[in-house]
Amino acid sequence: MREGRWMTITRQPNAIAGGVLILIMLFGAILGAVHTPYDPIAVDFFHRLTPPAPEHWLGTDEWGRDVLSRLLAGAVVSVGIAGVTALIATSLGALIGATAGFLGGWFDKVVIALMDALLAFPALIMALALVAIFSSSAFTPIIALSVAYLPSVVRVVRASVLVLRRSDFVDASMVMGNSRAITLLRHILPNTVAPVIVLATSLFGWALLAESALSFLGLGTPPPASSWGGMLSDSRNYFADAPWLAVAPGLALSLSLLGVNLFGDALRDLLDPRMQKP
Amino acid sequence: MTRYILTRVMLAIPTLLLALAAIFFLVRLIPGDPAQLMLGDVDDPAALARIRQELALDQPLPVQFGHWLLQLLRGDLGQSITLDSPVSDLLLPSFAVTASLVVPAVVVAALIAIPAGVVAGWKQNTRLDVAVMTLATLALSIPSFWLGLMFLLVFGVYLNLLPVVGYVSPLEDVWQGLSYLVLPVMSLALIEAGVLIRLVRASTIEVLGLDYIAHARAKGLTEAAVIVRHVLPNAMAPTWTMIGLTLGGLLGGAVVTETVFSLPGLGRLMVESVFARDYPVIQGCMVIVTVAYVSVNLLTEITYPIFSPGARDA
Amino acid sequence: MTESGKRNMRLILGMGGFAAVFVAILLVGGGRQEAAPARPFQIPLSSDIRSTSPGVNRDANTDTVMMHVFEGLVAYRENGTPGLLLADAIDVSPDGRRYEFRLRRGVRFHNGEPMTARDVVWSWRRYLDPRTGWSCLSAFDGSRGARIQSVEALDGERVVFTLSQPQPLLLTQMADIQCGGSAIIHPASLNPDGSWRWPVATGPYRLTSWKRGRHIDLEAFGQYSRRSGPRDGNTGGKVAYEPRLRWLIIRDAASRLAALSKGQVDVMPELPAPEMLQVRQLKDVTIAVRPMLGAYGLLVQDHDPLLADPRVRQAIALSIDRRAVAGLVTADVAGANPSMVPTASPYHTAAHDLGAVHHPERARRLLAQAGYRGQPIILTTNRRYPAMFNQALVVQAMARGSGLNIKLEVVEWATQMDRWRSGRFQLMSFGFSARADPSLNYESILGDRAANKSKVWDNPAALALAADALRTSDPKARQAIFDQLQVLMIQDAPFIALFSPPDVNAVHRSVTGFSSWPFGRARFWGVRRSTGAAK
Repeated sequence: MREGRWMTITRQPNAIAGGVLILIMLFGAILGAVHTPYDPIAVDFFHRLTPPAPEHWLGTDEWGRDVLSRLLAGAVVSVGIAGVTALIATSLGALIGATAGFLGGWFDKVVIALMDALLAFPALIMALALVAIFSSSAFTPIIALSVAYLPSVVRVVRASVLVLRRSDFVDASMVMGNSRAITLLRHILPNTVAPVIVLATSLFGWALLAESALSFLGLGTPPPASSWGGMLSDSRNYFADAPWLAVAPGLALSLSLLGVNLFGDALRDLLDPRMQKP
Repeated sequence: MTRYILTRVMLAIPTLLLALAAIFFLVRLIPGDPAQLMLGDVDDPAALARIRQELALDQPLPVQFGHWLLQLLRGDLGQSITLDSPVSDLLLPSFAVTASLVVPAVVVAALIAIPAGVVAGWKQNTRLDVAVMTLATLALSIPSFWLGLMFLLVFGVYLNLLPVVGYVSPLEDVWQGLSYLVLPVMSLALIEAGVLIRLVRASTIEVLGLDYIAHARAKGLTEAAVIVRHVLPNAMAPTWTMIGLTLGGLLGGAVVTETVFSLPGLGRLMVESVFARDYPVIQGCMVIVTVAYVSVNLLTEITYPIFSPGARDA
Repeated sequence: MTESGKRNMRLILGMGGFAAVFVAILLVGGGRQEAAPARPFQIPLSSDIRSTSPGVNRDANTDTVMMHVFEGLVAYRENGTPGLLLADAIDVSPDGRRYEFRLRRGVRFHNGEPMTARDVVWSWRRYLDPRTGWSCLSAFDGSRGARIQSVEALDGERVVFTLSQPQPLLLTQMADIQCGGSAIIHPASLNPDGSWRWPVATGPYRLTSWKRGRHIDLEAFGQYSRRSGPRDGNTGGKVAYEPRLRWLIIRDAASRLAALSKGQVDVMPELPAPEMLQVRQLKDVTIAVRPMLGAYGLLVQDHDPLLADPRVRQAIALSIDRRAVAGLVTADVAGANPSMVPTASPYHTAAHDLGAVHHPERARRLLAQAGYRGQPIILTTNRRYPAMFNQALVVQAMARGSGLNIKLEVVEWATQMDRWRSGRFQLMSFGFSARADPSLNYESILGDRAANKSKVWDNPAALALAADALRTSDPKARQAIFDQLQVLMIQDAPFIALFSPPDVNAVHRSVTGFSSWPFGRARFWGVRRSTGAAK
C-alpha cells in the first residue's frame, strides 16, 4: 500500500519538480551553513555593485559583498526560520484545534478565546516588541511568527473537526465502543491531515514571505547578516543599476515557495486516504 | 440565535482584556520611551524628567494600566503623546482608510478564488487545474512589498496610468479616490486570492471524496447540480473561516501595502506609534483591532451554519 | 422558499449587514475631508509632523514645515550666525545683561492683526512659563547659563529682555529652529483655556490644513511684510512665490523616489545616499548639496574596561580612513572631518583637519601595547538613519584591517536613544544634528557625566575651555578655544568624528530658486515652479 502511494507521487511531474526545488533549497541551506565562497559579511570597497563575473558568480552588492555567499548564508537563516516556524505552528496548532473541536464545551471556549486574543494581536507588533526587547536574532521572528500562525491552524483544524464529528464513520466508531481519545486519534486526526498539510506548506511560504516583509519594515534579521528577504528589500534602492541584487534573492524565494507548494499538494494527494480519484 | 450571539459577545470580553493587557505591558517592556524620543539629540535631563512626569510615565505600571482601563470604560481612549490629538481622532480616519483598502481586496480575492478553486478541485489534475494552481502559487511566491513596488513602477511610473502615492477618500471624489485605491487593492487581492484558491481547491477535493457526493451522483443529479448544491456549500465551511480570519487580520492593518502606497491606514499608525513609543495610540489601535477582529469573527461564526448546518449547536 | 433559498437569503442579509457596518465607518472616518483643486507645490515628508505649537512637541520634520509659518525676533543666517528677523535693531547694554529689541514696523499676524511689543512680551512670557512645556526653556531659565529675569515692553515697538548674567549666545539660542525659532505668536493661537489651538504667526506662509498621516497644506500669506534684501538663511527677504505648498507624508523611501520620478513631488529633501545613484540618472532632476552644521561619528564609552585604555580608543580612531568613510556613506558628497566643529562653520580652520590620520599599522602597535587580543567590541547602530548604519558597516570593515574585532549590534532607534541616554554602550554610531555654534556642538558630548550619562567626555581642561567659550564673545578668542578643544578631543577620543553630514536634495528642473543651507531644512520661500511643467 505504502509503496504504491510512493509510486503515485514519483509519477507526478509536479511532485518531482517540487521535490527537486526543495532539495536544491535544502542543499543551498546546508552548503551555506558549511561553506561559502567568500565571507558573506566582508565588505570590499573596491568591488561595489560589480555585475556577475567569474570571481563573483552572482555579482556583488552595494558594499562589495559577494551575492552568492550572502544568498547561501541567507538560505540558512530564511529556510531555517520558515521551517521551524511552520513545524511549531502546525504541530501545536493541529493538536489544540482537533482537541478543542472534538471535546467542545468549556475547553473549546477557552481555546477559542485564547486564540482570538492571539490572532487579534498583530504579528508585527509582537515581532517588533520581541526584537526590541531581546535584541534581534533569528530566534525572535520564529517565536513571533509561530505565535502569529498558531491560531490559523487551530481554527482551520477545529472547523474541519466540527464537520467530521457529524460524519458517519465517527458515529460508527463511537457506536463500536471506541473511547473518545481513540476516535480522535484514529478517525478524526488522520482526516484533518489534508487541510493541515495544505496549511503547513502555506505556513512555510508565509513565514518565508513574512520574514521578507519584516525586513522591508526594518524588523527582520539584523544586518549585516543576510537573509533572502533582507537582500530583496535592500535591493530596491539599486533596482535600475544592479538588477542582479533583486534577481538572486527574488528567484531563490519564489522558486523555494514554488517547490514547497507543489510538493505539498502532491504530498496531500498521497497522505489523504479519501483523496484518490474514484 | 440571540442567545448564541450574546454568549459569543460575552466570550469576546476576556479576549479583549487579555489582548489589551498583553499589549499594555509588552510595549512598556521595550526599551526607550516617548519622552526621550521627543527630545531627540537635545540633551537635557531636566526637560526629560519634566516630560516624563507630565506623561505620568513615572508611575508604577499597574497604576497606569488601571488608570487607562477606567478611562476606557468611560469611552475615552486618551491623548496621543506624539501627535497632539485625542487618540480617537486618529483611529477613525485610519481605520476608514484600512477598511477601504482591505474590504474590497478581500471581496475581489474571494470573487476570484471561490470559482477558480472549485473548478480546479472539480477538474483535478487537468490542464485547467494546473493552470489555476500555477497562477495561485505564483501569486503566493512574491513578497507583497515587491509586488506592490512593481505595480507602482509599472502602472504608476512607466505606464503613467495611476497616481503613485497618496490617498484621497473615495467619498470626497469618487474617481480620484478609486484611482488611488486600484493599485493597493489589486496587489493585496492577488496575494490573498493565491491563499484562498488553494484552500478552496483542497476543500472541494475533500468534499468530492465524501460518501454523500457519491450518493448524490448515484441519484442521477447532474454534475453541475452536485457541485453547486452539495460541493460548494460544504467546501465553503473552511473557506469562510479563512476569509473571516484574513479579513479580521488585515483590518488590523495591511502595513506593508499601506507603507508601499503611502496610505495612512491603521497598520502604519500602529507601527509608527510603536516606533515613537506612543503608548496611548498603540493601545487605542489594539482596542480597534481587537474589536474589529472579534466582530468579524462573530459574523463569520454566525454565518457559518449557512454552509455547514449543524455546526452551530456543537 | 426552499432550504437553500433560505440559506442564500441569510447569507445575503449577513453580507448586507457587514457591508453596512463598513460603509458607516467609512462615512464617519472619511466624511470630514474636502476635495483639492489644482495641484500645489508638493514636497515629500518621511513622517507626519507632531504638533503645530512652536518648540513644544516637535521633531526635525515638524521644525522644517513650521519654519515656513513661524518667525522670531531673530533667525539664523546662511552662515549660522543669528540675524534680525522681526526685530529691526538690537541694543545690548555694556554689561551684556540688557537686550533692547526694536520691532520691525508693518508686521501682521496671519489673522490680519498688527504685531506689537505686547505680543512679543506675551509670547515670551508664555515660553518662560514652565507650564507651556517649551523644550528650550533650560537655555533661558538659568539651568544652562543665564536666566531671563524679565521681558518688558517699553512702548508699542520696543521690548527689553533683562538677564541674570551676560550670555553671548543668547541670540543664537533664540534663533534655534528646534525651539520653533522662539516664534512670536498671536494670543488667538490658544484656546480660551490656554491650550494650543492653531498657529497664528507672522511667517510668509500660513497653515491652512493638516490631514494627519496624509498631508500638511500651507498658503502664501498675502499681508506678509518681508525684509528687504535677498534671502539669507531663515531670514532676509522671504518671498512666497508658490501660492500653495503641500507636504505629502510618504514613509517608504522607494515610494518617495517613485513619486519624484513621476513628477508627483517637486523637491525631495533629505535624499539618502543609496538613492542618489538612481536620482543622478533621472534626467529631469538635479541635486542640491551643502554640508550641514552637524557631526557624524562614533561615541566611545570609556567607562567600559576595554575602552578605558586610551591606546585602544586611539587605535580605533587610527584604523579608520575618514575620507573613505565620508565618501562611501555620502556617495562622495562629503569629505572627512575629524573635528566637532563642522566644515561649514566659520570656526573650522585648517587646525581642525589635523586629526584625520589613517594609520592602521600604528593602530596595530597601540593595540599590541594595550594587550588587546581580539576581544569583541560592540558597535551599536540603527537602520532608521541610513548614514549611521552605513558608517558603522564601513568602520567595522576598516577596523578589521588593524586587527580590531568590532561587532555590529543593530537596534531600533528608540532603543538606541535609551542606550545613549543611559551610557550603556561600547561604541555607538551617532549623528548630531546641526547646531549653530561650535560650543553647542561640543556641549553635546562634554559635561558632567555623573549627572548626565549621555555625555562621554569630562576632561577638566576641556570642561573649562567649553565654559570659557560660552562666556566669550570675541571671535579670535573663541577660535583659540575651539582649536585647543580639538587637540584635546583627538587625544582623548571620546567621540571619533568622521564627517560633517551633507544636506542633499533632489530638485525637479522645473523648480527655480531652491538652495540648500547648513541647517539642512528645506526652505520653500523664494522657490517657484515654472508653469509649463505643472501637472
